[in-house]
Amino acid sequence: MSLDRLIENCIKQDAQAQSQLYKQYASKLFSLCLKYSKNYAEAEDNLHDAFITVFSKIEQYKNKGSFEGWLKRIAINTSLQRYREDVGVYDIINEGNIEDVSVDLSDNDLSIDFLLQIIQELPDRYRLVFNLYVLDGYSHVEVSELINISTGTSKSNLARARMILKQKIEDYKANSNSQDI
Amino acid sequence: MSNKKNIDRLFQEKFKDFELAPNHAVWSRISESLPNKKKKRRVVALWWQIGGVAAVLALLLTVGNSVFNSDENNNQNLPVVNTEKNDSENKQGKNTLNTIKGSKQEVLKNVNEDKLESVASDSNKEESILKDKESNTPQKNTNSNPLTSAKKSKVNAVANNSNDKENVSTSQKFNNLKTITNKDNNTKVADNTKNPSTDSKQFKETKLTTKSELKSEIKKTIEDNKTATVDNSTSKNTESKVFKTESKEVISTDVNDLDSVLTQDLTKESIQDAIAENTEAIDEKEDKQNRWSIAPNVAPVYYSSLGVGSSLDQQFNNNPKSSSVNMSYGITGAYAISKKLKIRAGINRVNLNQTTSDVFAFTGPETASRGSVEQPSGNIKFNTGVQNVLLMSSTMLDVSTAPEVFNTKIAGDVDQRFAFIEVPLELEYRLLDKKLGINVIGGFSTFFLNQNEIYADIEGTSTLIGEANNINSTSYSANFGLGLDYSLSKQWNINLEPQFKYQLNTFNNTSGNFRPFFIGVYTGLSFKF
Repeated sequence: MSLDRLIENCIKQDAQAQSQLYKQYASKLFSLCLKYSKNYAEAEDNLHDAFITVFSKIEQYKNKGSFEGWLKRIAINTSLQRYREDVGVYDIINEGNIEDVSVDLSDNDLSIDFLLQIIQELPDRYRLVFNLYVLDGYSHVEVSELINISTGTSKSNLARARMILKQKIEDYKANSNSQDI
Repeated sequence: MSNKKNIDRLFQEKFKDFELAPNHAVWSRISESLPNKKKKRRVVALWWQIGGVAAVLALLLTVGNSVFNSDENNNQNLPVVNTEKNDSENKQGKNTLNTIKGSKQEVLKNVNEDKLESVASDSNKEESILKDKESNTPQKNTNSNPLTSAKKSKVNAVANNSNDKENVSTSQKFNNLKTITNKDNNTKVADNTKNPSTDSKQFKETKLTTKSELKSEIKKTIEDNKTATVDNSTSKNTESKVFKTESKEVISTDVNDLDSVLTQDLTKESIQDAIAENTEAIDEKEDKQNRWSIAPNVAPVYYSSLGVGSSLDQQFNNNPKSSSVNMSYGITGAYAISKKLKIRAGINRVNLNQTTSDVFAFTGPETASRGSVEQPSGNIKFNTGVQNVLLMSSTMLDVSTAPEVFNTKIAGDVDQRFAFIEVPLELEYRLLDKKLGINVIGGFSTFFLNQNEIYADIEGTSTLIGEANNINSTSYSANFGLGLDYSLSKQWNINLEPQFKYQLNTFNNTSGNFRPFFIGVYTGLSFKF
């Protein structure tokens, strides 16, 4: 079944088409939800809500841009929705000088599970900004609009996120090195 | 800067192809919340309905069986109690009866508790059942204090008296009633006996505790039990009245025996009360669904044949025939399978008649004078004593060659009257669902013959001459009809249903092209519940 046909049938609320659409995109969207969520359970909830939105609004998809992009935006938006109420919590932290964030990546043996774990461990908004800017290619302006913060806050949140991640990676490496010795 | 990019790039590269399949449960949750699941739910609902019907049938059989058994036992029990009498005790018994009668509605919880404890102290199985029974009889507690002690012993006496068949049978009945409903309910009811609650409360609690899925089934269950117990308790009640009069007139009773009788008596009364309250509770609940309806109906019916022929005799094939408008009356119950479709069954009495005109009848000497040349009365079995009747169709006679006797005779009629008990089973499909509704009806009926007479109407007098010997005791009809109904309220409808019933297998041996049918315009008032 072609994608257009699939979308058409989903608009008609055909159960089979809906199931197929889910199968086709669930993994991609779930990885997205995992990055934006604190933990696995929250990611599942977000995925659920995202698909409900997809199926209820699918007739609003007007073939502009890729369908996958549309799905991803819904998934991201759903994930962000959870944190929009918390605006302002981190505004106190205003990084005056952005420290240089570098990490020794000589041995590139970090597992995706570990990376995902440290992303999820980030404070909520650091995680959102890092994901949006670094992994999903949004500009600081877009990020600031999406989560209703200033671009300055977005930049400082990003820097802070990088620092934390770097620290965790270094700690992890130190740990594993010491274990090796 | 290059280092900073490193950390970004590290994550970008790692997450570029990152995909992870979510748990299956996520999809089942999603699909449940999607609006396209109606089909599945409907199937489930249908199974619940079918299951419910099956459960009700099973219940009817079990309860009916136990009810009949208990009735038999009651009858056996009756004389046994009356044989042992004691004058002084009888007075006490009489007083007890009166007190109970007078203050049936009151409830005293303390006494009730006392009694229950005394009952509970015995581990006998029958007693625990009896406790259930007692939970439904708080009225008993209205007795004065001296009597309560007597009551305690009474309860024990009843419980210990394993030979008391009535007791066993009633407890059997209760046992059926409860175990079938729900085991949880059973224990709950038992617990509740210690509360000061009234019957109705207990019944309602029973309902509340029931799981919502079982509600409809239990409702039916209670309904069935209700009808069953109504039968039972009314029959018992008449007996208990006999008890009362007897106990007043006649001499004496052993304390235990009299008391055991009283317990049963009270139980019966309490059952009736419980039923009354139960009925109210059921009424409240049924409002929501209104799947069942019941309609008494009455109809003028007109009997005729599609072809030319006679059910009586070949010679009458071409005689003019007529039918007067007779009445059919009965009652129909219907169950709505869906919004559009109802299945219904009922029981009606139908009277039909057909008058065959232009028939000469000869009796006694006249037949003799003609000699029994012919035996024309094919399907008529004459009553003894009217052996000499001879019926002849005037159409068979050529006037010019007819013997003289015919000129003096006036042609009369043969009136065939028969009646059936009709059991229709029909489907009703709703075409228009407004205040004025239109339905199409199709189905069949089974007829059981219950009246079969042939009269000769000669010169103004009508004489019973015999019966038709070719009407089958069981016959059928195919039914078609159009139903109109007008709703007076949520529950009451007026119905008007013209119906055509084509009779099958009614007569064994007809002559000519005799295909009988009858039409009726059934009117009635239906009540949904």
